[in-house]
Amino acid sequence: MSARRPRSFYVLAFLFVLFLLFLYGPMISILVLSFQGPEGGLVFPMVGVSTHWFERLWAGGGQVEIGAALRRSFALALVVMVLTVTISVLAGLAFRRRFRGATVLLYVAIASLIVPSIVVSLGIALEFRLLDDAIKAVGAVAGIEWVQTGFVSALGPFTSGLGAHLTWTLPFGLLIMFAVFNRFDPAYEEAARDLGATPWQTFRHVTLPMIAPFLIGVAVFGFTLSWDELARSSQVMGAQNTLPMQLAAKTTTVTDPEIYALGTATTGGSVLLLLVAFTLISLMQPRRKRG
Amino acid sequence: MTDATDTNAGVRPVRASAGRRGSGRAGTALAPYLQAAPMALVFLVFFVLPLAATIVVSFWQYTQYSIEPAFTAQNYGDVFYGCLADLPRLCTTFLTYLSTLKFCLIVWVTTLTIGFTVAYFLAFHVHTLKIQVICFLLCTIPFWTSIVIRMISWIPLLGRNGLVNQTLVGMGVIDTPLEELLYSDFAVILALTHLYTLFMVVPIFNSLMRIDRSLIEAARDAGAGGPQTLLHVILPLARPGILIGSIFVVTVVMGDFLTIGIMGGQQIASVGKVIQTQMQFLQFPLAAANAVILLAAVLVGVWALLKLVDIRKEL
Amino acid sequence: MTDWTKTSRRSVLRGAAALAGTAAFPAPFVHAQERVTLRYLSTAVNQSPAIAEKASEDLGIDIEYIAVNTDEVPRRVITQPNSFDLVDSEYFSLPNLVPSGNMKGMDASRIDRVGDLASVIANGTVDGEKVGWDGTAPHEVLYLEGQEATSFASEPTEWITLIPTTYNADTLGIRPDLIDREITSWASLLDPDFAGRASILNIPSIGIMDAAMALEARGDLTYGDKGNMTREEIDATIAALIEAKRAGQFRAFWSNFQESVNLMASGEVVIQSMWSPAVTAVRTQGVPCIYQPLQEGYRAWASGFGLPRTIEGRKEDAAYEFINWFLSGWAGAHLSKQGYYPAVLGTAKEFMEPYEWAYWYEGAAAEQDILAPDGRLLEEAGAVRDGGSYEERMGAVACWNAVMDENQHMVRKWNEFIAA
Repeated sequence: MSARRPRSFYVLAFLFVLFLLFLYGPMISILVLSFQGPEGGLVFPMVGVSTHWFERLWAGGGQVEIGAALRRSFALALVVMVLTVTISVLAGLAFRRRFRGATVLLYVAIASLIVPSIVVSLGIALEFRLLDDAIKAVGAVAGIEWVQTGFVSALGPFTSGLGAHLTWTLPFGLLIMFAVFNRFDPAYEEAARDLGATPWQTFRHVTLPMIAPFLIGVAVFGFTLSWDELARSSQVMGAQNTLPMQLAAKTTTVTDPEIYALGTATTGGSVLLLLVAFTLISLMQPRRKRG
Repeated sequence: MTDATDTNAGVRPVRASAGRRGSGRAGTALAPYLQAAPMALVFLVFFVLPLAATIVVSFWQYTQYSIEPAFTAQNYGDVFYGCLADLPRLCTTFLTYLSTLKFCLIVWVTTLTIGFTVAYFLAFHVHTLKIQVICFLLCTIPFWTSIVIRMISWIPLLGRNGLVNQTLVGMGVIDTPLEELLYSDFAVILALTHLYTLFMVVPIFNSLMRIDRSLIEAARDAGAGGPQTLLHVILPLARPGILIGSIFVVTVVMGDFLTIGIMGGQQIASVGKVIQTQMQFLQFPLAAANAVILLAAVLVGVWALLKLVDIRKEL
Repeated sequence: MTDWTKTSRRSVLRGAAALAGTAAFPAPFVHAQERVTLRYLSTAVNQSPAIAEKASEDLGIDIEYIAVNTDEVPRRVITQPNSFDLVDSEYFSLPNLVPSGNMKGMDASRIDRVGDLASVIANGTVDGEKVGWDGTAPHEVLYLEGQEATSFASEPTEWITLIPTTYNADTLGIRPDLIDREITSWASLLDPDFAGRASILNIPSIGIMDAAMALEARGDLTYGDKGNMTREEIDATIAALIEAKRAGQFRAFWSNFQESVNLMASGEVVIQSMWSPAVTAVRTQGVPCIYQPLQEGYRAWASGFGLPRTIEGRKEDAAYEFINWFLSGWAGAHLSKQGYYPAVLGTAKEFMEPYEWAYWYEGAAAEQDILAPDGRLLEEAGAVRDGGSYEERMGAVACWNAVMDENQHMVRKWNEFIAA
């Protein structure tokens, strides 16, 4: 590539590194403090250095009890991710043409980002409370035994919780799709159509491969936003906590660095996963080119 | 993807039929509605209806333990309690909005400055997509640690005996620890900038990538220096990205209560915090009224920004 | 131990009766055979994994903890009453919870040790002496007129709102290494000497009581009832708080256990109102911290088990069984060794070593090292518990955490304080 770089490159690269340092600042204190000695607390000073808290975390049964919530959050984030990608792509396709209500839908999507999350959460909780009452009334009238004896609430991570998360991830997905389709050259699709491809074939073999890399972005956004969501989840998960909720509740009592060990471990894990994925992709790429 | 299959598969037999052109157009006309339907449905059920419920409830009455259907403007009156009587002294609501707006403005400036610089670097100085992706991932990784854990970790970083103060004292830059690093306006701005700069980087980066490189070369050839090119060519072309990033940042900061609360030592007011406190005391209608006002305020701002940019075209 | 066998025999008998009663209906019969899971809603502080484990072992009842924040507990009870089977709530929430109709009065005849409940909860006395009743004193909200009643009974009845789990008295916690004089009064909380190093509780209804304790101690104001202030009292208190805030008195406000521990341990704050176990938590990190008894007395709180209106059948039986087990000693001893007080003192004593009981309850010097339930060292031999014996502590309670009648006005003024 270009052999000489302008001086501005080095200045900006330096600034970028500073920015990264800034982003990683809190991570650094988490990393350092997760190696607190067995007597140490959540704040400096360090009371010795040890891997005590990692051992506690690994052994389980400590103050940070998160297994179920972690699995639940992971499953929820996966579902949110898939739905976000699917629904966003569809809506993105829709917005390439004119249709009635397009402006309204766009404004609703943007409003969904803007409305304070706690309000959305409360609204959904109110709505589902009414729904619960309705279901019970119907169950009583129709004599459905299952509803009468077993029904507790329609609230749950994969009903109201899923909906709440989608109101947060979909606007991002939609905006990314705008960006993608705005740069998309329709000539390729026209060529495919001229060659007799059906709309589905055109989508499957022309459009989709071209937008696929960006869909990874949408997927990552969807997963990350759901995984870390707290405010919108607060009222709508029913009896079951997601991981951030569990952590938020637990951190009110946890006073030892096991929680930092957890932070270090999860971040370390994701970085590792990322490295593996990258290595695999770069190993596969030359082959695909040859094939 | 199954939905896509259905939608388009539904169109296909029509297309293959003899009346290809005419019915094809009919299918085409229907397609966007089917494609937009899932998103519209999600927003209808999980956003519009709950929001409508909120607006309705904002006119209800409440006791300490219940909310009762009614139609009263009392809650709205309560939000602006004392706002006329206390003039010229500002009432709580105005003070709170003013404080939140102040943070909006400052954080907007900081995120824009940092965000533009970073986006510029990534767009013009990093040449391969792979490296760009790696850089973005590097920026994202810190956000994978739960926000709850990250929030706690600011104290050992910025506190009186925190990492930063210890380092500065150790290096002899200061004699006594800086108190203002934590539980202050500075801390709030720092944390908000930390959280939301990336929201600015992405759309600006996107705009910068769309700039035709030949335009920049043309400017250079015409004798424009670096700063001139930046000011007269790049900045105007990056405007859509800047505006979109600004919408993100301004709206998120307006609704924030977690960051302002924690970093301000719970001593700094924000609109979100007021809503949260009212919900804590089960004053749902009052909280709802506050939320409606906040929503209106933010929508006006966003509407004005959207007048300046067509978000659909310019992304 | 004898108590425990009694309970277990009783529950077996009750289970047998239940089986006999429901034998005519095949479906519930199957249900009765299954292990029951109780969804236990409370703040994380009250959710000890060890208690759940032990209960599962002893009773065959699985406890599924739902951990939420302090302010979330009443909100869940009011907005999602069917999302839990057992709630551990603070007594001061009751004036909001009971009228909502989402709680069910507990049948006193099904609680084995209802007569042994600590007197400070049952009738507001310690050793026959009346303690301070300012605020929402538990005995005032302990009984209902009927199982479905939405108002409190002034006299003991058959229907109980909450069966106590833990209670304690809060006072100022201080860092003796960073404060060079005696602290004897709540007034020190607002002492300009500690400007920028003091903190109060950010739960408005409780924070304002901390402030009231300080203001009354300083002689600025006298209150009719600190837990139920008049508008004028609220206005005057908030005005004083705003003045202190503008003068930079407060470093930060705390709203949960972890925050209060970290503010203290990191030295951000040297004086603030604290829970006894929070002081212990600071000390186990090797940071000196004292739970300082004060001349004006303590601000107390109590928390207890309640049942949702919707609970019935096998779940309800299991809930009673669990509560009876909870009062039978093991859990009480477990909580005592963390610094809380349990509902029934006598049974907790049976599950504690004499030297432990002497340290935690009698104000005696520890004969041996005092260990936490998880085996960590809390205090070395020779240490005396801050504040002394149970009677000295609970007997000196001045007021209880509360929700005021003028709550709405108070919240508005509190928001004004935050915005100032």
